[in-house]
Amino acid sequence: MSFSVRTDRKLIRPTFKSNRFVLAEIVAPPSRREHGRPPVNLAFVLDRSGSMNGEKIRLAKQAIEASIARLHDDDRFAIVVYDEQIDVVVGSTRATAVARRTAVARLSEIGARGSTNLGEGWLRGCEQVAAELSAQGVNRCLLLTDGLANQGITDRGELATHARELRTRGVSTTTFGVGDDFDEVLLQALAAAGGGHFYYIASAAAIEDLVTSEVGETLDVVARDVLVQVTAPAGVGVESLSPHQTRERGGRTEIIVGDLTADERVSVVLRLTFLYGQLGWSTGVVVGLADRDDVLAEGGVKLAWEYATDQANDGQDRDRDVDRAVARIFAARARQEAVALNRVGDYQAAQQAIRATARRIRKYAGHDQELRSIVDGLEAEEGRFVAPMPEMSRKMAFAASSYEMNSRSVVGKAITGPSPKEA
Amino acid sequence: MPIENEYSLQDLADLTGVTPRTIRFYVAQGLLPSPGRVGPGATYGSGHFARLRLIRQLQREHLPLAEIRARLESLDDAAVEAIVAAPSTPPTPGSAADYIRGVLAKSRVADAPAADTLAAPARPMAQSMPAMPALHEAPPPESPSADRSQWDRVVLVPDVELHVRRPLTRQLNKKVERVIAIARELLEEDPS
Repeated sequence: MSFSVRTDRKLIRPTFKSNRFVLAEIVAPPSRREHGRPPVNLAFVLDRSGSMNGEKIRLAKQAIEASIARLHDDDRFAIVVYDEQIDVVVGSTRATAVARRTAVARLSEIGARGSTNLGEGWLRGCEQVAAELSAQGVNRCLLLTDGLANQGITDRGELATHARELRTRGVSTTTFGVGDDFDEVLLQALAAAGGGHFYYIASAAAIEDLVTSEVGETLDVVARDVLVQVTAPAGVGVESLSPHQTRERGGRTEIIVGDLTADERVSVVLRLTFLYGQLGWSTGVVVGLADRDDVLAEGGVKLAWEYATDQANDGQDRDRDVDRAVARIFAARARQEAVALNRVGDYQAAQQAIRATARRIRKYAGHDQELRSIVDGLEAEEGRFVAPMPEMSRKMAFAASSYEMNSRSVVGKAITGPSPKEA
Repeated sequence: MPIENEYSLQDLADLTGVTPRTIRFYVAQGLLPSPGRVGPGATYGSGHFARLRLIRQLQREHLPLAEIRARLESLDDAAVEAIVAAPSTPPTPGSAADYIRGVLAKSRVADAPAADTLAAPARPMAQSMPAMPALHEAPPPESPSADRSQWDRVVLVPDVELHVRRPLTRQLNKKVERVIAIARELLEEDPS
């Protein structure tokens, strides 16, 4: 387990507002499985609308089978399928051998048909989880779909609000989007608000790997509801660039990182805004870590900045690791924006979004190889966004950016172990 | 860089956003224990840090200073630390199951056909719907009747207080919150 916090620059300007960035890196403790793990409580929600027909539904069912095979007797699971109608195929049950066999038999009877009431299907899955909330373990609903929400509650904002509310009540949500026709903005929003993960599955062949991997992560969760807490003096603005939700509580800003699986490595990037102040004065913040079960108990880390002359500010050293983390997040944001603009046909604006970000990073890249390659990457991609992109390319670019911002691997899985530098 | 156990007065002020003058006032009033040493080289510990944060927290809840002092007196450093470091799981207004039931019930009502057709006869479902609210909700009274209200003392800085008669309307409450925030910021500026 480790927790490190650093800033890009240590001096701030007396006569202007200064923005400084902070990188907080958390590496979760190792697995507790040898000592027995808390039971998990999962619901699998499967889209069986017409478009899922064939390989997709077959492989999705196989993935659920493989996932429940990994559960212990004390774990719970439920299976819900939906098109315009919602069926609870297996109500929340302990994962005994009998229950697992019954589930497999019932799954085999499910075929694809109809349109998609994603909202209610997902909520009914959450309902199964909520009925038997586990106090110590992870309570999560896993939604797998290849389509849009076109029946029942379809508003993204409303669904995301429900995901957020359910999360505060103990039920988290993970989403898997398969193929070209699902709504990635909705699925990412559900997962972000719901405290789970979003996965893009370009080819149905990867369904089983990603679903079982997500289930494996829930089995290995070592810290729940992890928060990065920032205590700053009045007048210092604190904002998370990482897509995690933030809230103000007890005079602190809390960045909600969510559940961490064994050895998982997560970075959170913050932007602090300082008011002007007197030359020679200093100011500081304390960045701490907390979680629901108090397993990460760590004293806060104190960071300090000093008001110095513009000349000293211009000449100061930069922590390049922080610069790189900041640049990666801005690049990822620009790509998602460009995808959205490309979809609505505003190619100029899409190109502009990429170009402006590249220019901004170039300003501080200096001779740093990694920063320059981020800039080069953006510039090389600029051309992709000026003509209609194939849907699959849009989804890939969107998902890759989502993974980048959330400290996930290139296929969406948790990244584990110390950062390469320390290793 | 782990947190050090010793702070100077200025360190403590920087970290908590409470001015040195106010910190000295709190020490004089017994809200904070005396520093390790006195004078310019005075040092403060993590106990001071935690207590100051709790004071700020309680002030935000508009507790009068006397009440804050009473609460602090009953707590040792460890207890104070535990309160300010408490992983803040929000109070859950109803369980997840209740929440989902509410959402599903509402979405089914919204999906029900003929809700807007004039000719539709009353359906049995309508009976299960919640009573319609009055056409326009009566605004909360401007000034709540005297018997139900009470005056709150809000300490802005050691020598300045604001008196507020509660309950207030939501709008007015928001404005008062702003007044308090602005006033504190203004009053706490160091005269330098």
